[in-house]
Amino acid sequence: MREERRRILAMGGGGFTTSVSDAPLEHYAASLPAVAEPAICLLPTAGGDADEQIDRFHRAFRGLGRLSHLSLFRLGTHPVDPREHLLAQDVIYVGGGSLANLLAIWRVHGLDETLREAWERGIVLCGVSAGSMCWFEHGITRSHGRSRPAAGLGLLPGSNSVHHGSDPDRRACYAEAVLDGLPPGYAVDDGVGLLFAGTELVEVVSAREGARAHRIEADGGRLVETPVLPRLLDPAPAAGRDAPVEIAEFREARRRREAGSRRARPV
Amino acid sequence: MEAGNPLLDDYVLRATGRERPRVCFLPSASGDADHYIVRFYQAFSADRCEPSHISLFRRGGASGWREHLLSQDLIYVGGGSVISLLGVWQAHGIDAVMREAWERGIVLSGVSAGSLCWFAEGITGFHGTPERYTGLGLLGCSNTVHYESESGREDAYRLALRGGMRPGYAASDGVGLHFAGGRLLRAVSSRPDARAFRMRTVRGRVIRSALRVSFLGDAVPAPAPPTRLAALPRAA
Repeated sequence: MREERRRILAMGGGGFTTSVSDAPLEHYAASLPAVAEPAICLLPTAGGDADEQIDRFHRAFRGLGRLSHLSLFRLGTHPVDPREHLLAQDVIYVGGGSLANLLAIWRVHGLDETLREAWERGIVLCGVSAGSMCWFEHGITRSHGRSRPAAGLGLLPGSNSVHHGSDPDRRACYAEAVLDGLPPGYAVDDGVGLLFAGTELVEVVSAREGARAHRIEADGGRLVETPVLPRLLDPAPAAGRDAPVEIAEFREARRRREAGSRRARPV
Repeated sequence: MEAGNPLLDDYVLRATGRERPRVCFLPSASGDADHYIVRFYQAFSADRCEPSHISLFRRGGASGWREHLLSQDLIYVGGGSVISLLGVWQAHGIDAVMREAWERGIVLSGVSAGSLCWFAEGITGFHGTPERYTGLGLLGCSNTVHYESESGREDAYRLALRGGMRPGYAASDGVGLHFAGGRLLRAVSSRPDARAFRMRTVRGRVIRSALRVSFLGDAVPAPAPPTRLAALPRAA
């Protein structure tokens, strides 16, 4: 049997663009290619190539591989062949933002085809929020204001929704859409990633305790929501290494304090 | 929005025929770059107009673009990637709103990509090698910008014209092409040496004719109040 080399890691939210550190998930993404120094490229298209997202990516993934980002809005000043650059990567990480804009811009640049080609070649495709939903047949987008279903690239069958625990409007929209006939799929909490080998879900991981994914389907007019418990990832090595110095010191002091109070408790 | 040179901004505000025009900025072609939005509010300050902008990249942005755009006196489109701009506008239905705005007499303007987008087609050089794009087609001719400041544009435009591209206009930096309806009313500029050309083919040969360009730094009669004033695409 031909070994399945196509992989997609679809993350429901959180990560380096938020204030919460989901470093274990980022380390997990970087470890998937199983090479010493993976080439990891950020596609910040959904956010309009915002500087902040790009900066945070470089800080979050520092030391985890050979980093780059592909800015379609800056090709004028930083010309590069997008296809050539992307096909030379081990991991392509798609940042969050507007799903509708992401897909529109990729399509006019022919990147939808390039990314499919990258997937077929075994390059790990991953992303958070819009960068998760884009791989599926359907996602739930807020690009137009209120949540509504949107078609994705369709590499993965079914539907996907994100920020499940933190976005009630999207959650309600997804439920309604599935009851209305949208193909079933997964609603994912912040900090959780779904790993697909080919089109098969092979693992669910989480950087946050208590966070999970949910299988969402309709059964005879009723919504069936089945939690999928993830494997909790180990804390990233040298936790806080990418945080500002003051925060790293704060965490270290708190850790020592907590360790000290544990020792003081009567056995 | 040329640094330290408000001549074209002043012109386009006057073209609305209003004391304090409502001006909306669309920075979509740059991915809603923050610095660009800031520059817009500096150039189109609240003391002389009612500025606003629409950001299509912010998650959960309000819907209702149509109502907002159709209540403007001037819509100003920022530069960047015209191809990405048109893709994003199509995703949000803004392409149709622009045509409606134009037909209602709202002044449409913009720089670089914000010039190219109004035409049927033209040459964009944003992604490196100059390439052909298809625009909104409010103006039935072709366009290219940065004509003399960026190499390769002229050759690419000539090649495209010989290959069947519609005739049109090439503008260098600092030029504004003022169209009323589908016809070029006048060419104006913020720089005394800026040039613009009408480009067309006659029996397979490209004919380039220099347009008369009025430098706005000289005394120029104010543009007539709009009757069916349409696009004011410009390069800067």
